[in-house]
Amino acid sequence: MNHAPTSHPAWNLWSNPIFRRYCRSRLRPRGLGVSVLIAIILAGFITGLAHSIGARNEVNAVDAARFAIIPLLVLQSLILFVIGTAQVSGGMTAERDEGVIDYQRLIPMSPLAKVLGYLFGLPVREYVMFLATLPFTAWALARGQVEWPVWLPLYLVVFTSTLLYHLTGLVTGTVARNRRWAFLTSVGMVFALYTVIPQAAKAGLVFFKYLTISPVFEESFPRLLPKAAGGAIATLQQLAPTARFFDLNLPEAVFTVFSQGGLILTFIIMLCRKWRRAESHLLGKRWTAGLFVWVQILLLGNALPLIEPGSLFPSRAFSQIRQFAPDWHPNPMEAVIMSGLYGLVTMILLFILTRMITPTPDEQLRGWRRARKQGTTSLPRFSDASTAFWITGFMAISGATGWFLFTLAIIESRWFPGQSVPLPVWGCFLVVMLVAGLSYQALLETRGGRAVGLSILLVGIVPILAGTVLGTISDRMVPIASWITGVSPLSLPFYACNTVLAVAELPVQVARAIPRAFFFWLIVYVVITVWLILQLRIFRQQMARRVFSNQDDLPEGAPPLPPVS
Amino acid sequence: MNAPAPAIDIRSLRVDYGRLIAVDDLNLRVPRGEVFGLVGPNGAGKTSTFRVLTTLLEPTYGEIRLEGIDALDDVAAARRILGYMPDLAPVPSDLRVQEFLEFHAAAYGLGNSAQRRDRVVECLEEVSLSDVRTSWCRELSRGQTQRVVLAKTLLHRPRILILDEPASGLDPLARRELRGTLRKLAERGSTVFVSSHILGELAEMCTSLCVMNRGRLLASGTAEEVRSQLGVTARTLTVTVIGEVDPAASWLATQPGVNDLRISGAQICFEFRGSDDAQADLVAGLIQAGNRLKSFEEKRSTFEDILVEVAASNRRK
Repeated sequence: MNHAPTSHPAWNLWSNPIFRRYCRSRLRPRGLGVSVLIAIILAGFITGLAHSIGARNEVNAVDAARFAIIPLLVLQSLILFVIGTAQVSGGMTAERDEGVIDYQRLIPMSPLAKVLGYLFGLPVREYVMFLATLPFTAWALARGQVEWPVWLPLYLVVFTSTLLYHLTGLVTGTVARNRRWAFLTSVGMVFALYTVIPQAAKAGLVFFKYLTISPVFEESFPRLLPKAAGGAIATLQQLAPTARFFDLNLPEAVFTVFSQGGLILTFIIMLCRKWRRAESHLLGKRWTAGLFVWVQILLLGNALPLIEPGSLFPSRAFSQIRQFAPDWHPNPMEAVIMSGLYGLVTMILLFILTRMITPTPDEQLRGWRRARKQGTTSLPRFSDASTAFWITGFMAISGATGWFLFTLAIIESRWFPGQSVPLPVWGCFLVVMLVAGLSYQALLETRGGRAVGLSILLVGIVPILAGTVLGTISDRMVPIASWITGVSPLSLPFYACNTVLAVAELPVQVARAIPRAFFFWLIVYVVITVWLILQLRIFRQQMARRVFSNQDDLPEGAPPLPPVS
Repeated sequence: MNAPAPAIDIRSLRVDYGRLIAVDDLNLRVPRGEVFGLVGPNGAGKTSTFRVLTTLLEPTYGEIRLEGIDALDDVAAARRILGYMPDLAPVPSDLRVQEFLEFHAAAYGLGNSAQRRDRVVECLEEVSLSDVRTSWCRELSRGQTQRVVLAKTLLHRPRILILDEPASGLDPLARRELRGTLRKLAERGSTVFVSSHILGELAEMCTSLCVMNRGRLLASGTAEEVRSQLGVTARTLTVTVIGEVDPAASWLATQPGVNDLRISGAQICFEFRGSDDAQADLVAGLIQAGNRLKSFEEKRSTFEDILVEVAASNRRK
């Protein structure tokens, strides 16, 4: 018998040992039976109820069947998105808690095969529960005469969304400290995707809605409803935009799969990196920079084509509901807030990605010692141990450019005749992004995550809360509140837009206070950032010098080391 | 023809955790087919060394070769020839013993399902645990868990076994069986690198061993060589004399290497530092000096004594 260990091809899921291991443990008759029974009872109840309501109201058979489709979809989404995601993140954390993950690290399987084994293995019971509800859906679709071009894209996006959320759960389970955090983070993220993020999508950041099944669901919605109701909604939807990406006009399903595909790929890369080396950063520096630029392109690509027809503006949607469409015109303040929001979201993304690639002092120390051992006096530019300063700078420049292009397109659109956005506005946005990004990065690299967390709380959040409280006391306090709120770097994008864009008029007191506060705090932050960058430089030099020059940790009799360049 | 590469070749290994140096400039060669022991007090760097050897931890720097394979560059190849049993030997709570082992057999690609099942039975027999095949892993005792994980480690017939405290939790009978299993593996050509706190046992089961302290290698070689390298060559000798005790005691007190002499009835107990030859000369000299000896007893420092000595020097530093 040949006992030479062999590797497993990643594509062959059925022979994947990790997938089969979870099929064994999660598909035991007792546990599975209860879960499937619950799924069947709920799906049967929904279908039966819809049918009986139809019969009672003497609705025809087609419409009666269609009543059940959407509630069934909600049930299926709950099973896959919420329960499945929680199971993936919790299961992954359990592997770490039990300590058996080390065995899995050692087995001769490629990182991709391991990722796929966990991705489909951990939630395998939820997939079976989903399958148990499918006969009811199939009956409703067939009886409701819903054609395949309607349901196929919808279920395709349900599948890609499931993969995306499960991968999020897997990443969370891989990095979270304990099971409770992993569960809360992953389920919270799915919840936020369907509650908070759609609000951002309504305010111009259209791309975010393509991370959910909402756009495809909205497109299919009229044809899933009883015919009369569906017809009315379909007429209303003629006014709504389809998926547009710069000059391309794409089906919603295609664009959703495209948008989610990028993130799915990114998550798989994160997990493969972690499987290859547990100490690795989630993403490499080049991939991080590329991801940031890609998100900027998606944000712009989705938003810019919607400016001219006006559908990017939140007030347009309200006006359609109230049937005020003929004399609708966007509010200038709306444009300023949308621009500010774009800047804020870009800044937050910059913070998140910078956090991923910034080395801890320990990682830097190890990197320098490794360099010393290898006889070099510098770290490889894109290694995990090297500074994230330059990549953060690059991302800040890209972010400022994206923010500027978004603002330019809105303000110089036909809705605001005579308005222009000069090039110095880009300079202002650039300073805001660089100040926020580089100060955050320098602090993180020199002082670590705890100092940054405390700074975010005390400098980022508390001033906004304090300013809000003060501002609501009385109108006289509004200028002081503006100054206090301006302390927070998170308010800088909104202050910048209010200061440099002449399109909107604010109350006199606020209009005076905000630009002054903005420039004052910006100058303060520029000084702080320069100081932090110098600190970072000194910190890195000291660390390198300690490793190279002092040689205090070297064994006796070791040969002398080359000087630091 | 070139001699085969050693089973384990560690060069200039360094492992840092922040400012803590867990392993410092470790150089070690373990020839093939040896049962090699690693001894050291807590915090000596044993587990860090094992985790680097098993490719689970990236060292700060250093070179690791396993049967000539660069374990840091060709991780996959190194993992194929390795078997690792970690300290406390975790098992998954949601699998039965047979399922756990079959999963690993499949992961290592050991033939078809019937062949894998046979191999699982074989390994369970090897660790004397055939009767728990259908038990849940979570229901096993500590000792049984250790043996199940040892069976898992043996599944793919690894050429190098790295066992972190494999004897902890085992009853005396199981320990004896473990010794037998490890010896058998070594006879078949596998190399076993094992750590243990039960040092007497380690000395019994290992062909060579090394002692680590504070991340550094203090000594390595056979048990005798290690004793010598650590300067722990003292032994306690007891002679029982027929007749007068004092002349014998006076004679001994003048001999080099004799210390801490005590008289108790007809017995003289003293510490002697010196080689085996010097000890033989001492006994012969004592008889030639006209003393009549009824009995002679030697008690050497155990490995526990060595470890206590090393740990004490740790605290003194």
